[in-house]
Amino acid sequence: MSLPSPDTRHAAWLLAVGTERDRAAFVALFHEFAPRMKAWLMRAGVPAEAAEDAAQEAMLAVWQKAAQFDPARATASAWMFTILRNRYIDQTRRGLRRPPIDVLPPPDSEPASQDTLLLAEERSARLHTALSALPNDQRAALELAFFKSCSHSEMGKVLGLPLGTVKSRLRLAMAKLRSALAEDDMTP
Amino acid sequence: MIRHHPSPTLLLRCAAGQLPAAHDAVIEAHLARCPNCRAALVDAMAVGGALLDQTPKVAMAAGALDTVLAQLDRPLPPVAPLKPAMDFVTHPPGRWRRVAPGVATMTLAPRDATGTRLDMLRVAPGSGLLSHGHHGLETLCVLQGAFDDGIERFAAGDFAEADDALDHRPVALPGEACVCIFATTGYLKPHGVLGRLVRPLLGM
Repeated sequence: MSLPSPDTRHAAWLLAVGTERDRAAFVALFHEFAPRMKAWLMRAGVPAEAAEDAAQEAMLAVWQKAAQFDPARATASAWMFTILRNRYIDQTRRGLRRPPIDVLPPPDSEPASQDTLLLAEERSARLHTALSALPNDQRAALELAFFKSCSHSEMGKVLGLPLGTVKSRLRLAMAKLRSALAEDDMTP
Repeated sequence: MIRHHPSPTLLLRCAAGQLPAAHDAVIEAHLARCPNCRAALVDAMAVGGALLDQTPKVAMAAGALDTVLAQLDRPLPPVAPLKPAMDFVTHPPGRWRRVAPGVATMTLAPRDATGTRLDMLRVAPGSGLLSHGHHGLETLCVLQGAFDDGIERFAAGDFAEADDALDHRPVALPGEACVCIFATTGYLKPHGVLGRLVRPLLGM
């Protein structure tokens, strides 16, 4: 049996924080995610100092909300990403204030089984494989969609393409990624 | 049955936190009735998570961990729950303003710093909106009734999005009044003399 892969380890830490308020597990999550969150925010155009603050606040939110993490519904990275996304929105949104969309449904009351963690692990591995296999043009469109802070109509201009071309690349990319995520639903 | 959904691009931008809040509100009205799109958004979040995994780390400030640890036991600030958009039909949060025969609007949020505003629209059966195109993104979710945009039928739960490219002239179909929630970035560009006359009334 090999060592647990990153997502299983991250999920176990998150569950420990959520159920036992385990500070050591939180510190481990901090070292793994805070520097990536800060890097993400900077890449999305947030100045370094504000990105530092937002990454710290995001980690604080991880501590506060960890009990809502359900590995049957989201990989650890996806869950961490929703926390980061909401901090990013708070950081950048001028104008209309409203609570961010509550994307992930509330957790089941059943505790996470080892099978659940394994399935999440496999989903995560398949997603990473599919992401690496994307053609460069689709990967570029995907990174534009996530990182470029611009209006919808400017999305094409950034890549020097008609908006329709960017949209069709994103459609193709998401079809592949979603089918990679869904594979386990089809196996008996 | 819902037949019109947000595009993958729009759901990705929503997942990324890159859409003006008013468009998120319209998408949320659709998600409340469309489990498939909610699942698609969850998958987009998973893609965001995978991209986060692949993001190279940058150093946090010295003492960052201690700063955060010192705050762990701070109590949570309360967050007011958001009313689901569907409630807006039975419990309008504002006042309907008649802007043309058979047409009323209600402002839910004024134009923000991104040039985006959130409104509701109520159109009596058979009444039409002006033919209009767009300078920016427009999203719309039907909350009640149905309309026909000259090409297709949109009923409760259906979602429409338009960017620069589209010209259409929505007409409410027979039955109950058609009520929509919609967000617009930038200004509509009504066509024709009537459009130029009514545009100031609509304030769009």
